[in-house]
Amino acid sequence: MKVEVGFRLNGYEVRAEVEPHLRLLDVLRDTLGETGTKEGCGEGECGACTVLVDGAAINSCLFPVCEAAGTSVMTVEGLAEANGALSPIQRAFLDHGGAQCGFCTPGIVMAGVALLAENPNPSDAEIRYSLTGNLCRCTGYVQIVAAIRAAAVATRGERGD
Amino acid sequence: MGFEYHQPSTTAEALELVARFPDAEIIAGGTDLMVRLNKTRRVPPALISLRRVQELTHIENGSGLRIGAAVPLRDVATHPAVAAGFPALVDAIRVFGSPQIRNMATLAGNLCNASPGADCAPPLLIYDALVELRSAAGVRELTIEDFILGPGATALEAGEIVTAIRVPPPPPAARSIYLRKGRVQMDLAITGVAARLEMDGATCGAVRIAAGAVAPVPRRLPRTESVVAGAAAGAETWARARAEAQHEISPISDVRASEQYRRHLTGVLVERSLARLASTNGGGT
Repeated sequence: MKVEVGFRLNGYEVRAEVEPHLRLLDVLRDTLGETGTKEGCGEGECGACTVLVDGAAINSCLFPVCEAAGTSVMTVEGLAEANGALSPIQRAFLDHGGAQCGFCTPGIVMAGVALLAENPNPSDAEIRYSLTGNLCRCTGYVQIVAAIRAAAVATRGERGD
Repeated sequence: MGFEYHQPSTTAEALELVARFPDAEIIAGGTDLMVRLNKTRRVPPALISLRRVQELTHIENGSGLRIGAAVPLRDVATHPAVAAGFPALVDAIRVFGSPQIRNMATLAGNLCNASPGADCAPPLLIYDALVELRSAAGVRELTIEDFILGPGATALEAGEIVTAIRVPPPPPAARSIYLRKGRVQMDLAITGVAARLEMDGATCGAVRIAAGAVAPVPRRLPRTESVVAGAAAGAETWARARAEAQHEISPISDVRASEQYRRHLTGVLVERSLARLASTNGGGT
């Protein structure tokens, strides 16, 4: 029996009729058509499915969609401006080559967003620790860490810190 | 009737649902349960979520702590009273999974999953934590030893849910630490050692040592503790504790490490944790 689940997705109210056993990941991709969020391992190891729920990074493959009801969900689709202008962290990943195949990138970017919201001036060690739940099997992490470091600088500059 | 997802907002409502759906699974953080469901593609008849049960979503700080069963580990680690009085628990949460996992997983869930390597169990053992269980019949409290019965097995009875973990206030002079080794941060422990030590001048006073991933259940090491209690603080005592711990545990060989390496490493962590706790500028509090 389907149930109705409503939440804010990237600033917009969404409602969906869904099977209650589905995961947030399934509903984001298959019902709402937001396919930026990826499924990698399906067991909370790889972080490709990372989204923010009420500001906290979570694995959407381990998150029952019913738990999203009434929350505010942010996915990679919510980062750019309405006119397509990239957010500082997206820009930084492009500038530093922080992606190769790109499959892990949305999850890593969202982990980076969560980190910078909590810690606007992270050390490299803090950046690496914040990425323990995100696997990249192409690039190695050097460019990814550099991108998040640059995004931190750009974000602070934007805010005038 | 198909699958139902229940989200009670009070403990009473949750207990009613647990009684009504005996085959339902209880979910808090979901970081173990959802992996199991994803892997088996199994849909249980119902899930009963504790996430929106108001009474279970906060930490009470009175005489000791009462940590609600639905509080995510991240909120446990960042609570000022936990950081001040229970540093070994903070150490364990720091090495627990990833930021994403810590934003979901709970102490109660970690104990209910009853993994031999449950990272939060050794710290809770040295802090004399109690598991609060409720059912329609009332409330009971069990020690960690009485709650975790074997790999994946707990004393949780039908109709019962874990509602909180209670931790008594620590002795004022006690210092504590949790050291763990895994292959990488995101992997389960090869071994983990929690220790709590009170010093009486240059002599060791009351001591508690517990280890995980080196026996069927996380457990205290009473023989190793008795080597340390009342002994002179120093390298000789730490070395004797190391040797005793290596004999006292009963590890297995698996994909993460051999039995021999687990014995070796556990001894090293016992020695290291005691040395740090006894040094004036070491780790712990």
